[in-house]
Amino acid sequence: MGAAPASRDVTSYGMGLAAPLALFFLVFFVAPLLQLLWLSLHNDTAALHWGLGQYLHFLTDPFSLSVLGSTLLLGAEVTAVCLVLGFPIAWLYQRVGPRLQTIIILIVLLPLLTSVVVRTFAWIVILGRQGIINATLQSLGIIDTPLKLLYTQFGVVIALAQVQMPLMTLPLITALGRIDPNLDDASCSLGAGSWRSFFKITLPLSLPGVIAGCTLTYAAAITAFITQSLIGGGQMLFMPMYLYQQASTLQNWPFASAISIIFLLAVLAVVSVFTTLGRMSRGYGGA
Amino acid sequence: MILNRRSLMTTALTLGAMKAFPGLSYAQARPLVFATFTGSWEEAHKAVLVPAFRKANADAAIVLDPMLSVDQIAKVNAAKANPPIDVMLHDPGPALVAIGQDLAEPYPVEKSAYYKDLIAEAQEPMGPAPFFQVVGLTYNPEAIKTPPTSWADLWKPEFKGRVGITNLNSTLGTGWLVEIAKMRGGSEANIDPAFKAIEELKPNLAAVAANPGALATLFQQGQIDISPGNFNAIQILKARGVPVEFVAPKEGAIAFKTTIHIVKNSPNRELAFKLIEASLTPEVQTTLMNPPYLIVPTNSKVTMGGEIARVLAKDTAELKQKFVFQDWKKINEQRSAWIERFNREIKI
Repeated sequence: MGAAPASRDVTSYGMGLAAPLALFFLVFFVAPLLQLLWLSLHNDTAALHWGLGQYLHFLTDPFSLSVLGSTLLLGAEVTAVCLVLGFPIAWLYQRVGPRLQTIIILIVLLPLLTSVVVRTFAWIVILGRQGIINATLQSLGIIDTPLKLLYTQFGVVIALAQVQMPLMTLPLITALGRIDPNLDDASCSLGAGSWRSFFKITLPLSLPGVIAGCTLTYAAAITAFITQSLIGGGQMLFMPMYLYQQASTLQNWPFASAISIIFLLAVLAVVSVFTTLGRMSRGYGGA
Repeated sequence: MILNRRSLMTTALTLGAMKAFPGLSYAQARPLVFATFTGSWEEAHKAVLVPAFRKANADAAIVLDPMLSVDQIAKVNAAKANPPIDVMLHDPGPALVAIGQDLAEPYPVEKSAYYKDLIAEAQEPMGPAPFFQVVGLTYNPEAIKTPPTSWADLWKPEFKGRVGITNLNSTLGTGWLVEIAKMRGGSEANIDPAFKAIEELKPNLAAVAANPGALATLFQQGQIDISPGNFNAIQILKARGVPVEFVAPKEGAIAFKTTIHIVKNSPNRELAFKLIEASLTPEVQTTLMNPPYLIVPTNSKVTMGGEIARVLAKDTAELKQKFVFQDWKKINEQRSAWIERFNREIKI
């Protein structure tokens, strides 16, 4: 943050402006993260004996690994649902008039304007035994006894998909908006059908948005403690609840720290796969 | 200063600031800080206990800082030498943790005017119990016409897919598991029968809630009709018009002591003692026993009345007879193993 030299290199930027945020991150993110790592490297709850016992415990325990696996799978399912449902909306957004655009953006943003807790409770009302879905199906005579929707994997995926949908739709809208609509027309006038144009032109060009949306949705879905525990209940264990149990109920902070670190690394691995795909798609889009 | 696990839990900034400016953390003239629980507890304490304390102590300054037991323990641990809290409130499990970590001051029993009037179970030298929490059976009287009478009723075939329980994260879930073990010939030391019993309960289970609060939602949504439940929580639901009733099962209702502690090294030791004294007085306990609070008193001089006399106990003698207290020392030792087992085995 020293004074700028007289002959300043105009192509470089001072990092001074980033300093406040960097400091904030250093103090409130990096430092606690290091503490977490330090704590996870202890074998006992009083954190007196160094060792890799917590990691060994997790990585050799089929149950813990299954919790990790089901959490990562949950994220993949939610991301897939969001992508399949979100893409048409984003595509539609680029092809309608300004008034409809406002309505679409409002619908997309609406979930973000209410708290996650409220949205999740709404899903309890929808999915419950006497909820909207069961009541409708029963009054139509399609089912006799109410379906079990709440406290199931299906319920969690559906609720999370709705809760996290804006994180997928917004990057998609931006990415699709950057595509020159003439390209699609050109493809059609050169004889390609609309599906072929979509797969050859629109989809590849929108890949950066797809990747960004997937990354955001995935990260948000697997860490969504509130929705997971309210819709999934107490017997469906995902990583955030596992962590909470160990840290809060059992006061076993070293193991909880180890779970956090492993979870963090697993998520980073998935995100880096997404990023690599993103980099490849940029090359593809530019070709 | 020894850097143990807890002190490292505070952020580097806090640690740094405390070292650099010790004056900051030695708040000489700060008001008495009482860490109560959130929700109905806070409301009750704000409306009844705090005014009673201020009246008896020349309007002494007091701040309620509601938080969970675990957060209280973490906060006190992070600054043991000058804790930010003067009075802690705990469920039986966390109370033993706090005492085990040397965070609580022994209660000056000989100075106390009310301690000796407490019923024997509430007399805890490391921090007395001003209130009991009671767990029994909760049911929906619109769906279940004959009130249940025993924990064993949960296994009745007519409640197929109608029963809710909570997992072991909560005091309620853990206490219930112990009671089921006892019903099937087990104990705090032998939990096996309880897990076998839950295995048999599976056809009836509609939900394993993540916390007791979620059970309330499930009743409201008609997802479940019967479950173990907390007496106070049920009264709140009832007051809102949800059709629920509470019965004490014939095996005895599970009673948890909610204990109140002077924090070790508190700069407001004297006022902390006065606040706890206020919570033990028959006047405060009587007011808290009446609607809308319905908190079970522990002072034997309080005459039971209202809903508590109707569904729980008419006097201290009956209360002692109908309440079961559990050995939380033994429970704490094995709780992590139980939770692990519950995680693995209970899938519906």
